[in-house]
Amino acid sequence: MVGTTVVGSYPRIGERPEEQSLRRAIARLDKGEIDAAQLRTVEREVVKAVLREQNEAGIDAVTDGQISWYDSQSHIARKLTSIEIGGLVRYFDTNTYYRQPIVRGAVAWKEPILGDEWKFAQANSKAPVKAILTGPLTLASLADDKHYRSKKALALDLATALGEEVSSLVRGGAAQIQLDEPILTRHPEDLAIAIEGLERIRSRKGSARLAFFTYFGDVTPIYEDLLESPADTIGLDLVQGAATWDAIAKYGSEKPLVLGLIDARNTKKEVPGEVAKKVLELRDLVDLKTTDLSPSNGLEFLPRERAREKLGILSAAARQVGVAA
Amino acid sequence: MSALLTTSVGSFPKPEYLLRARTKASKGELSEEGLRALEEKSTAEWIQFQEQIGIDIPVDGEQYRGDMATYFAENIDGTEISGLVRSYGNRYYKKPIIVDELRRKGPISVDWFRFAQARTRKPVKGMITGPYTMMDWSFDEFYGSRETACLAFAKLLHQEARDLESAGAKIVQVDEPALSTRFDELPLLVKAVGVVTKGLRAKTILHTCYGNYNEIFAYFNKLPVDQIDLEMSNSGLDLLERFRREPLRKEIAFGVVDVHSHVIEPESLIRERIEKALTIFDPDKLYIDPDCGLKTRSVEEAQAKLRNMVAATRAVRESHHLTVGKG
Repeated sequence: MVGTTVVGSYPRIGERPEEQSLRRAIARLDKGEIDAAQLRTVEREVVKAVLREQNEAGIDAVTDGQISWYDSQSHIARKLTSIEIGGLVRYFDTNTYYRQPIVRGAVAWKEPILGDEWKFAQANSKAPVKAILTGPLTLASLADDKHYRSKKALALDLATALGEEVSSLVRGGAAQIQLDEPILTRHPEDLAIAIEGLERIRSRKGSARLAFFTYFGDVTPIYEDLLESPADTIGLDLVQGAATWDAIAKYGSEKPLVLGLIDARNTKKEVPGEVAKKVLELRDLVDLKTTDLSPSNGLEFLPRERAREKLGILSAAARQVGVAA
Repeated sequence: MSALLTTSVGSFPKPEYLLRARTKASKGELSEEGLRALEEKSTAEWIQFQEQIGIDIPVDGEQYRGDMATYFAENIDGTEISGLVRSYGNRYYKKPIIVDELRRKGPISVDWFRFAQARTRKPVKGMITGPYTMMDWSFDEFYGSRETACLAFAKLLHQEARDLESAGAKIVQVDEPALSTRFDELPLLVKAVGVVTKGLRAKTILHTCYGNYNEIFAYFNKLPVDQIDLEMSNSGLDLLERFRREPLRKEIAFGVVDVHSHVIEPESLIRERIEKALTIFDPDKLYIDPDCGLKTRSVEEAQAKLRNMVAATRAVRESHHLTVGKG
């Protein structure tokens, strides 16, 4: 009855020797033993395996696992004009790091960023592949802005650039676009900027569905405003952002929600029946037929094997909602 | 009066022979004893190197550790070790998983402290991965509360600190690289480190690195340790002005070489950094060290950085007519 989806990233390597190919290839590239094209071939094999794992688990809307992304910020930013990529900075409260974009001038779109990756993934997946973009507010907030000196001005130019990218993705066939704005869990006061950015992007999406995702915390203070935002679907982290649950229980939602109930930052395995029971608490508050179940954020913070198991738990929980409803 | 004592944060790079041996051991091609013998060899070599160049407070170099959290977890009941997870780029590490109540199997780092201390007359630091970092870098399948897990680590790490002290450690360092992860949890970190250091006679140090120090500045004086050890050169010595306005009421170990750069800082640059630090801190409260552990550098780079650091410190001492004293 409820659908299933993932948020974006997926572990690139696993414990089995055959799952270590990408790590070995990058090490060989660093030593000059292979070239960028050869690395690309290995990367694409990993993308295929990641899609296979999601397909086998029965996930309804999948991603390419962001396997070729160095991180969520620089992968997008490096293809825009006037941005240099700087040093490593801690990514939210995770023990991972991103290369910080340094904004040197007016930012604009110059070439497709995700088009080839999305096309390759869709050609290798039975399920529809979502195209994932880091949102303009998060990009602007985590960058080192040496030009605009205004988060809003930078975010809005980024939104225009990302709108161009969305238009290019949709022309290439993408029917589901997801925009990630995790920074809203830290700075809910910036919601107005995020929404203004979202409006610019929405105007370029044609008939594609636009999902708007927040994670790494709760969005309780802005929950009702998020429901009014110009996105087709709202994705919520309900593990680290468990506090948002009370807002859903109070206000419900007429807009389709993605419920991030599977903990993507802890190895502890959920019991599918318990997750299903939790979802069913919302049966009178949201339309379960348009609701999706997902991990709380990208799965790359887990070891590969546990990420796979979490996909299975996600699928099983969704089936149990269907049986019980 | 002792002045400008030199030290290191903890880790040194492993020599080629030890790296090869670790790979072999992980494939089961080398026995535990065989690996241990080589870890002892390189530890002894690092102690000898520190003696040679005249470091005042040596470290054991952590030749026996893979990851700092995993090493401690492997010696604690109630934990398992996860599969690989990514840190950044092509770097992956294994994380502890808390699966049951945490209990120390026995002393964790004490044998290595004894091994190192037996090879030098200078005071070797005892080194503990801090309770907050242990908690933040672990998956928790048991406690379900960050605070409970953190304090459980703190309790057993206090025993470890006591054992280090009994083994003769005059200085115990608590490493908390995760300190700046969540500002709202700084009170928890202060509480947990306090549990570890409570009642110790040894000098206590807290090391942290690569954080937004401006956000955590107000906590420096609240940390229940005698000394804080900070990475200063990588952050462009930005903090100095703040320390001028809001004095630190503790000793400081001041990082003067960047551990993430291949560039060997010349003696003159390090001297400048020390001189700047001396405009704010008293020489008897100012210790000189690298920003962080040197394990990501090559052996040659690490040794060159340390040599220049010691030479620069010596030159500054001479120009200010400071003596080393008994430390």
